Amino acid sequence: MKFLNRKTLVMMLVAMMLVIGACSSNTPNAGSTNATNNPSNTTEPPTDASDDPVTLTMLVSGAKAAEGEDFELETLPRLVKEKFPNVTLEVQKLPDEQYYTTVKTKLGAGEGPDIFLVFPKLANMGAIEVAKAGYAADLSELSFWDRVSPAAKNDMSFDGKPYAVAKGMDILGTFYNKEMFEQAGITELPQDWNSFLEAAEKLKAAGVTPIAMGDKDPWVIQFGMYQLAANSVYPTDPEFDTKLQTGETVLTDEKWVKTINQYKELYDKGYVVKSSLGMASAQAMQQFVDGKAAMIFTGTWDLPGVTASGAVEFERGFFALPGNDAGQPVYASASTAAGFALNAKSANLDAAKQVFEYLYDAESPLFEAWVASNPSISVFNGVELQNDIFQDVLGEIQSTGNAFYFSNQMWPAGVSDVMQAKFAEIIGGQKTTAEDVTKAMQDKYKELYKE
Amino acid sequence: MNSAIMKKTMYFFVLPALLFYCVFWIFPILKLFQYSITDYNGYVQNFNYVGFSNFKTLFKEEILMISIKNTLIYTAITVILGNIIALLIATLLNANIRAKGFYRSAFYIPTLFSAIVVGFIWSYVYMPEEGLIASFFAKIGLAGWDTNFLGSYSKALYSIIAVDIWKNIGVSVIIYLAGLQTVPQEMLEAGRIDGAGKWKLFRFITLPMLATSVTINITLSVINGLKAFDFPFIMTNGGPGISTNTLIYAMYKMAFTDQLFGKAAALGIISFAIIIFITIVCVLTLNKKEVSA
Repeated sequence: MKFLNRKTLVMMLVAMMLVIGACSSNTPNAGSTNATNNPSNTTEPPTDASDDPVTLTMLVSGAKAAEGEDFELETLPRLVKEKFPNVTLEVQKLPDEQYYTTVKTKLGAGEGPDIFLVFPKLANMGAIEVAKAGYAADLSELSFWDRVSPAAKNDMSFDGKPYAVAKGMDILGTFYNKEMFEQAGITELPQDWNSFLEAAEKLKAAGVTPIAMGDKDPWVIQFGMYQLAANSVYPTDPEFDTKLQTGETVLTDEKWVKTINQYKELYDKGYVVKSSLGMASAQAMQQFVDGKAAMIFTGTWDLPGVTASGAVEFERGFFALPGNDAGQPVYASASTAAGFALNAKSANLDAAKQVFEYLYDAESPLFEAWVASNPSISVFNGVELQNDIFQDVLGEIQSTGNAFYFSNQMWPAGVSDVMQAKFAEIIGGQKTTAEDVTKAMQDKYKELYKE
Repeated sequence: MNSAIMKKTMYFFVLPALLFYCVFWIFPILKLFQYSITDYNGYVQNFNYVGFSNFKTLFKEEILMISIKNTLIYTAITVILGNIIALLIATLLNANIRAKGFYRSAFYIPTLFSAIVVGFIWSYVYMPEEGLIASFFAKIGLAGWDTNFLGSYSKALYSIIAVDIWKNIGVSVIIYLAGLQTVPQEMLEAGRIDGAGKWKLFRFITLPMLATSVTINITLSVINGLKAFDFPFIMTNGGPGISTNTLIYAMYKMAFTDQLFGKAAALGIISFAIIIFITIVCVLTLNKKEVSA
């Protein structure tokens, strides 16, 4: 083999390094397989939280508060220190995508944080998944559960035991610019799909971009889509997603095709800002607060961003995107928000539980600070709504019960990504149809769903 | 090796390094092969062996072909265009011009920033309607031009590649510049006396003398192109749709979003095969060229 000289070998090594470099992150747990194989065997001696110095680690997702004190990064560690002088809380906050990667790698390697964020039900890092894997601690013995709404507790439960405390309830909706609506002559908020399209048409006729979306961050596609699904998929079949698991229903169902076609219509008719695929979500938000677009689809959690001051002053409003046919009620898309869970294998589980007791104690200053900083709607009894902008939608949900969860909470992580990727093809003017999108979603679901 | 100078016992000194090498390199590679035939999700430690089904699904799905195609386009363009531009810049910077030092540093500065920073800044440069390029177009009266660079299926990949070239050109320029300075003046002078024009001087004297630099630069850009990940990740999230997925990005997405580590490992092995193949072809051709020079 004459051609295999030294240089060739070096090049081959370089090539190998490349692949290994890229894949080494796939095997972070190789060394610790044995250590974490039997989660039940790792019983740590209980630590007395009252005197020994304890350091608790906490990993959450999100961005640091733009102004004022950040709750998780600053307020929480400070108030915990005041109450438990021996407990030091080290908090790390990561952008959403990185959060998933980091927390999973850490948990898988047996180096998980003591406190971390989990999402409801089957979502990515969902309570069911984390509990099944034995990473989250059973929280049923904690004392505050009687003050938490049963729905929120249930969404964070597996086998009837709660594994995380939800931050609250989040509603997906449409934030809108009241001034622009008035100027375009929209006197009444749209109550069904056709009137919504009419309103958008009026805005467009008035020379205003009706909707700003930052589709370069593909996950924002979910924000409009799930609101439509809440009207077009679930009202006629509330158990749709449970039936998916047995194959009784499929995502290629005409209800989903209708949902996707509805959302497609907004793009086909030019109601969504042109070239949204080249715009990041933060850039779209900027367009909204600068008064360059009349509406943006996002959730309650985005309130700080939506109310940030932009180039012009205007009053903001919030309504549930009406995907319903005329004469039908509007269904909102509302779900239990993410919440904190405790690491089942933590050496400081008891100390962490005490922190939880304090955090969720109605009387504590920490609870007060938490409520004040939290844009989600509280699921704790007796806590009043903090943000009036959500009053109408919330009141409607509370009086009629017309709301469904975010669809991805019942899908394995990855299905929503396919939905986004395929729908982006529609936005980008490829030949993809709504049927293609649903087919890709169904294929992914079948590939990923495991009992 | 029966060396009279080195005792055989000396080989024991290699052991610690060899051990590290095996644990952190060889072992993970073997693990990768193992994972590629499992349904491991990277997270829950019990998994099943599923045979070659990961590979089968990969070959059925469009993501494999798209990511291979994108990676090859990415590599080809960064190698060819990147090197031509770098050589041009290096030749200019090698000439006797004013403020040479300033220009030399200016071309190197983008290299110093991290890919994250560069990607983030460029996503604002490319922003439709209001980005730097869009505003520039509007100023010079080209407002009608489509400025949706990162959101367009036909333009996104090339827009990313342009940024990659812009960022990495500094390194190639430095290497070419160093090479250019080793070209002996006597030879160029002899050429001139023989009546060679500028192009002939470059083609028959400078370029052959630069053969080593060309090899280095091409090798570096091939490596850089094949491992392309950062710019698709920061600037487009692999989108729109999956149109800017590269092999490495697709692998990352598969492992961490879909939680299919097994399938991602299978993709890793396919990439491994492709990259080995390209590398061998590359080395064989470049070796030949260098000898003939």
